[in-house]
Amino acid sequence: MSIDPNDPKLTAYALGELDDTERAEVEAQLKESEAARQTVNEIRKTAALLTRELKAEPALALSDDQRNAIEAKAEQVYGGGKKPAPVKRFSLRRWWIPTSVAASLLIVGFVGYMQLGGLSRARELSPRLRARLDTEKQLQGQRLADASRATSPASRRRRELRPVGNVRLEVSASAGPSEERLAALGYVGGTVAADDAYYLPWSAIESGEGWNHKYSISGPACNTEDYDYIVENPFLAVVHNPLSTFSIDVDTASYANIRRFLNQGRLPPPGAVRIEEMVNYFDYDYPLPAGDDPFSVNVEVADCPWKADHILARICIKGQEFEPDERPPANLVFLIDVSGSMRPANKLPLLKEAMEMLVDQLAYDDSVAIVVYAGASGLVLPSTPCEDKGAILSALDRLQSGGSTNGGAGIQLAYDTAVDNFIEGGVNRVLLATDGDFNVGTTSQSELVRMIEEKAKSGVFLSVLGFGMGNYKDSMLEKLADKGNGNYAYIDTANEARKVLVEQIGGTLVTIAKDVKIQIEFNPAEVNAYRLIGYENRMLRAEDFNDDTKDAGEIGAGHTVTAFYEIVPAGVEIDLPDVDPLKYQPAVAETFSVEESRRGPKPAAQGGELMTVKLRYKEPDGDTSKLIEMPVTDAGLTLNDMSDDFVFAASVASFGMLLRGSEHSGDFTYQAVLEMAQASIGEDPFGYRTEFVNLVQRATELQPE
Amino acid sequence: MHPIRLAWIRSILNEYEGPLMRYAARITGDVDRARDVVQETFLRLCSEDPAQVDGRVPQWLFTVCRSRALDVRRKDSRMQALTEAQMQKRKSPDRGPAKTAESREASGRVLQVLALLPENQQEVIRLRFQSGLSYKDIASVTDLSVSNVGYLIHTAIKTIREKLNLSRGL
Repeated sequence: MSIDPNDPKLTAYALGELDDTERAEVEAQLKESEAARQTVNEIRKTAALLTRELKAEPALALSDDQRNAIEAKAEQVYGGGKKPAPVKRFSLRRWWIPTSVAASLLIVGFVGYMQLGGLSRARELSPRLRARLDTEKQLQGQRLADASRATSPASRRRRELRPVGNVRLEVSASAGPSEERLAALGYVGGTVAADDAYYLPWSAIESGEGWNHKYSISGPACNTEDYDYIVENPFLAVVHNPLSTFSIDVDTASYANIRRFLNQGRLPPPGAVRIEEMVNYFDYDYPLPAGDDPFSVNVEVADCPWKADHILARICIKGQEFEPDERPPANLVFLIDVSGSMRPANKLPLLKEAMEMLVDQLAYDDSVAIVVYAGASGLVLPSTPCEDKGAILSALDRLQSGGSTNGGAGIQLAYDTAVDNFIEGGVNRVLLATDGDFNVGTTSQSELVRMIEEKAKSGVFLSVLGFGMGNYKDSMLEKLADKGNGNYAYIDTANEARKVLVEQIGGTLVTIAKDVKIQIEFNPAEVNAYRLIGYENRMLRAEDFNDDTKDAGEIGAGHTVTAFYEIVPAGVEIDLPDVDPLKYQPAVAETFSVEESRRGPKPAAQGGELMTVKLRYKEPDGDTSKLIEMPVTDAGLTLNDMSDDFVFAASVASFGMLLRGSEHSGDFTYQAVLEMAQASIGEDPFGYRTEFVNLVQRATELQPE
Repeated sequence: MHPIRLAWIRSILNEYEGPLMRYAARITGDVDRARDVVQETFLRLCSEDPAQVDGRVPQWLFTVCRSRALDVRRKDSRMQALTEAQMQKRKSPDRGPAKTAESREASGRVLQVLALLPENQQEVIRLRFQSGLSYKDIASVTDLSVSNVGYLIHTAIKTIREKLNLSRGL
């Protein structure tokens, strides 16, 4: 059956508005009809044209007086004697960004007011907007009064303290933000220009998701960098938590960023240290995949270097590699931030250099389009085959910075362009190059993330290349890459650009598997407790493992992924917080002993296996996952038995723990890291490991007495 | 004094002021009136519960802005008893600020064709391609069904496509 080219569904399909079922239907029909395919193509072209031209219309703005009036009202509405706590008057400039603890403290006051259903109210009110401001004010007062009656302090506090995953945060619901509190969170009074603000993620604060503890770091060169507050994964008892589930992460940005700090003579802020990204920055000599799966999985176990009676398990994943001429043709869209903040030499000029390196690597049948965004966004170069590299390079060369940053419009246009030139079975990817400081535009931060998540469904993948410093928005960029089926690298030097865009171009461009999740089941007969090192913002719920609708990390060609577990073997004591015995049902351990004691534990528990590693992944264009399973035993190896790779990777992980001030690093020192790393440099063809040794040396010098 | 809330409002202002201004100006046909409408929309947002609006900020803003702008326009038409000619103009409000944008030839053409479409088609096209709203968002803003929105956008794009091809002689 062929579809009528006049069916509105075709337009909805072309604009990405259909759900999966409808999309599949239309796609099946499109296969039958050349005319319909052509129509879709034309619709997309028209849509791209409309988007471009409508977004180029000049902006209109409120008058300054009007803006001021709005801001005054924003303050006044809450200020009518309803302050959540006596708050010392900070200037806004100094403290609105620093921490969502401040926000979560203040939100206490909102909670009651939330429960009155502002949502339905808005719907009722909007058709009769004749209600003018006076009425509005009265309503407002009424609502606040209702709110304070409706909600007891206890219920507010409960909302406030709801634990989130394994995040434990002590917040006193009654206390207001104090300078000490802010200082304790690492905020040390840097200045933040309020104009750089982007949409404050209210939902993130309210739901606890992400816990965006923004804190800015002081210092001459660097004043509005954003890092999420990372709460380290704690040790978990196997009896209560036999399963550990997380998404892989191939990003490397954190290491490059840490290197920048250390090279500037400062220790990085703890929030900038993501251990998995440090470990994954380095290439390890893992075996290439042999079977049908696009990657190999291996697990090695040895003594833990920083804790004598613990053991360390390393999970190693290696993606298949492509020869350059085997790579499928690529349809790339460079989405380049040319806003004013990109002017410094380590941003736009470095970015141009980096992109030129990339273009040099491309083959004739690859194509490149360039979209820029600042106050307005536009297509600088329509999709151009690499036969005409001259045109691409000169378009890059002409880029200039200026204006504020409207990321949303740019992202829209870039994805539209990528979709217009989609190559079936090829590499379809948007490369976003920015400092992440989106401050103007049609979309809020959470909307941007949502938009990227939506766009990822079109089959276009994303690479985020972070540049610059001073206003670097690490947390935002990491989130975009995470949601956009993407990878994220930080480029601080031409060398780093070469690593990401030349040496590892395969991994950066070609995704070989997506939604890769790992789940470990620990054997209580062998393991007392465990802790996953790093991957804090990649943790999944146990149920998510088999749920193919849950998004997870991608792996690129030739990528290596490494994860470490620190394991407390059975028989070794560890002091974990007590859980009260359950009142209504036996605890996991009790079930085990009471109901199954006659049969004994399951036979598998007696086989001496430490754990079983399970891995799920999807083909890049697939929707159902495949499962890989492997049991792991402890052969009782010491560090001396291990490869240089193992020791070096362990030294990187321990360095991250020290930089983050981990409570689990015991009495381990930078000096000990240095010795481990020096002993395991190996061949080091590109000098990355030597560079690491130098960085540890720097940290040794910088550490506080 | 509520700094976090102020920052929240301010960040939304930074992001939506421009799109709302364009939208309101289209409906009211007057930049100053649009300013009043948009200011009032934001004042109203200040009174809303952030937790309820968050996640659907654009729908909320555009819905309120549209309703207010239509009110203003209705009031205008009552007070001024618009002449036939003025009504005609208002139906295709492709004048004023937007016009100056048309430096490039192609751009002029697309927007010219767009300006010939019925107002409801222009509106959904602008909401979709200028403000980046989804069909669902647009449906909730304009109080139409999603399939209705789909039909309007489909028809509009079809007309634009045909007119462009025609005028290019393709």
